[in-house]
Amino acid sequence: MITLKGIKKSYFIGERELPILKGIDLTIQSGELVILMGVSGSGKTTLMNIIGLLDKQTEGEYFFMDRNVDGLDDETLAVLRNEHIGFVFQQFFLLPYLNAIENVLIPIVYSKKNIKHPREKAKQLLARFGLSDRIHNKPSQLSGGEQQRVAIARALINDPDLILADEPTGALDSKTGNEIMELFRMLNNEGKTIIVVTHDPKLAQFGKRLIRIEDGIISEDTTV
Amino acid sequence: MALYLKILQFKEFLEEILKILYYYKGRVVFSLSGVALGILSICVIITTIDGANKKAYEIFEALGPDSIMIFSGSERQRMARERVITLTHIDAESIEKINGIYDITKTFPVRGLTLRYRDRKWQTNVIGATENYFSSYSWKLYLGTVFKKEDLENLESVCVIGFKVYDELFKGEDAIGKTIQIGKLPTKVIGVLEEKGGAAGGPNIDDRVIMPLSTVVSKLSNEKRYLGAIRVKTSRDVDATIEDIKAVLRKNHGIIGEQDDFTIRSSRDILQFMSVISGSLFLFLGTASIVALVVSGFVLANLFYLTIQERKKDIGIRRAYGASRRGILLSFLFESVFITFLGGIIGIILSLLLQGVFEKLFDIPMKFSFKVVVFALLFSCLTGTISGFKPALKASKIEPIEAIRG
Repeated sequence: MITLKGIKKSYFIGERELPILKGIDLTIQSGELVILMGVSGSGKTTLMNIIGLLDKQTEGEYFFMDRNVDGLDDETLAVLRNEHIGFVFQQFFLLPYLNAIENVLIPIVYSKKNIKHPREKAKQLLARFGLSDRIHNKPSQLSGGEQQRVAIARALINDPDLILADEPTGALDSKTGNEIMELFRMLNNEGKTIIVVTHDPKLAQFGKRLIRIEDGIISEDTTV
Repeated sequence: MALYLKILQFKEFLEEILKILYYYKGRVVFSLSGVALGILSICVIITTIDGANKKAYEIFEALGPDSIMIFSGSERQRMARERVITLTHIDAESIEKINGIYDITKTFPVRGLTLRYRDRKWQTNVIGATENYFSSYSWKLYLGTVFKKEDLENLESVCVIGFKVYDELFKGEDAIGKTIQIGKLPTKVIGVLEEKGGAAGGPNIDDRVIMPLSTVVSKLSNEKRYLGAIRVKTSRDVDATIEDIKAVLRKNHGIIGEQDDFTIRSSRDILQFMSVISGSLFLFLGTASIVALVVSGFVLANLFYLTIQERKKDIGIRRAYGASRRGILLSFLFESVFITFLGGIIGIILSLLLQGVFEKLFDIPMKFSFKVVVFALLFSCLTGTISGFKPALKASKIEPIEAIRG
């Protein structure tokens, strides 16, 4: 599903080049549950942004769904993100003026996919995550765990092939965090490809494959 | 935009925008009221000008395009409301002989006469006129009849009263055949003129009494030589006839190279006058409305800039979930146009509500039409597009990762 060949990424501060990724080779198959681990500054978030088509590499080749994404225009990338990727963020990023179900429906607004009865589907997803009685609540009326579950429902509404979660448990207590991770495991068992980016070693146990990033290169890649 | 056209998506999209607007309601109210005021004044301009034009054409129609009026006194004297009487019965006779003139109405006004009926009093102007006065002004009767040629020949003390006079003296009672005192002269009322209503700022044309010219000059004023005004109709070109009239009058009055002591007007001048009135209205209201729209556009643009800073995360999330730059640009633009469109609708509703007040205030009938609505909405959308474009462009340039990180 994902193939990275010699991916390098540098930021430029004035004249100075600041290398973040120094040559990443990586293949992720459909149906994997990958924990991408690294300390802050290791380049893990940059890598996730490149995988998620939110950022572009400086060097190397990236194949997403067997397609070289180099040089694709903004419009095409937006469609690829919309149809194939569901994002989950540390700070949940729900829109404050929309209630739970409306937040779940955001990707539908930009979708060219023909999702039937999206509202019903959103309700089902929320019900599945134990939020039946929270459908019409605004984010400010939900707990952290509830907000993250709404965000996961939003990531799933468009039937993506890949879920990218950036520190999904970072803003939650450990019990709630574990529940979220269990949820990812359940979704993976149903066939979703999931990549969880984290600095927290405790999350390693939830994955099927652990990739460790240190100083811009992959230092460990083990399949459990 | 084809992307959003699926009905459900559009409904979601619209719902979202309504929620966003509600969330930022403070700012929206500011922008809305500015646009509404601007659109209100635009509506007032268009309806007023349409109304004024309609009125002008009505007058034009009523006077007839072949009418020429000749007044005593120079242009300057008339402007200063100096009352000079220079036209004579001899002038009228000379004018009558001009080629093409087929109808001549002579009038002589006596101002400020007191009318009495029972215990009621009313002061007004009495116009002595030839019998064709009514037909040449196309003035129809509300009650009774008009005087005839024989009444002029016999110096009959009869009169036709304007609607305002009728209202003041008779208050709706039957007036025909009743005798009123005009000055010291007992006069029989034979007719009541139909109400015409006041023109912009001018005297009330319903406040007058019309009597046979001969009766007025012999019994009310004792002025046998002069006339107040002459009105003619011509079958020839109006401008050519005016030149002939000028020549005759200058000869009669012995004017060589000096300023004329008479003024000639045709219906064309009335149209011109009305267009001057609507022109100045246009200038005044037009400036006001454009200022209002520009200011509200600026307010909208600035508030939008602020919101974008605040909604950076919002934009980032939308971009991550599949919104393209163009999608963001369009949705922000749509939001801005939506606000101004709403403001436009409010402005139109306000102007409809205020129509009556304006009509009383300016004494000009307003003509509300479909054209006004289209024009107002067009203008409001234009304001939204122009003021929303730069902020929307800025929003679309926000990179998803910087937005999410920030």
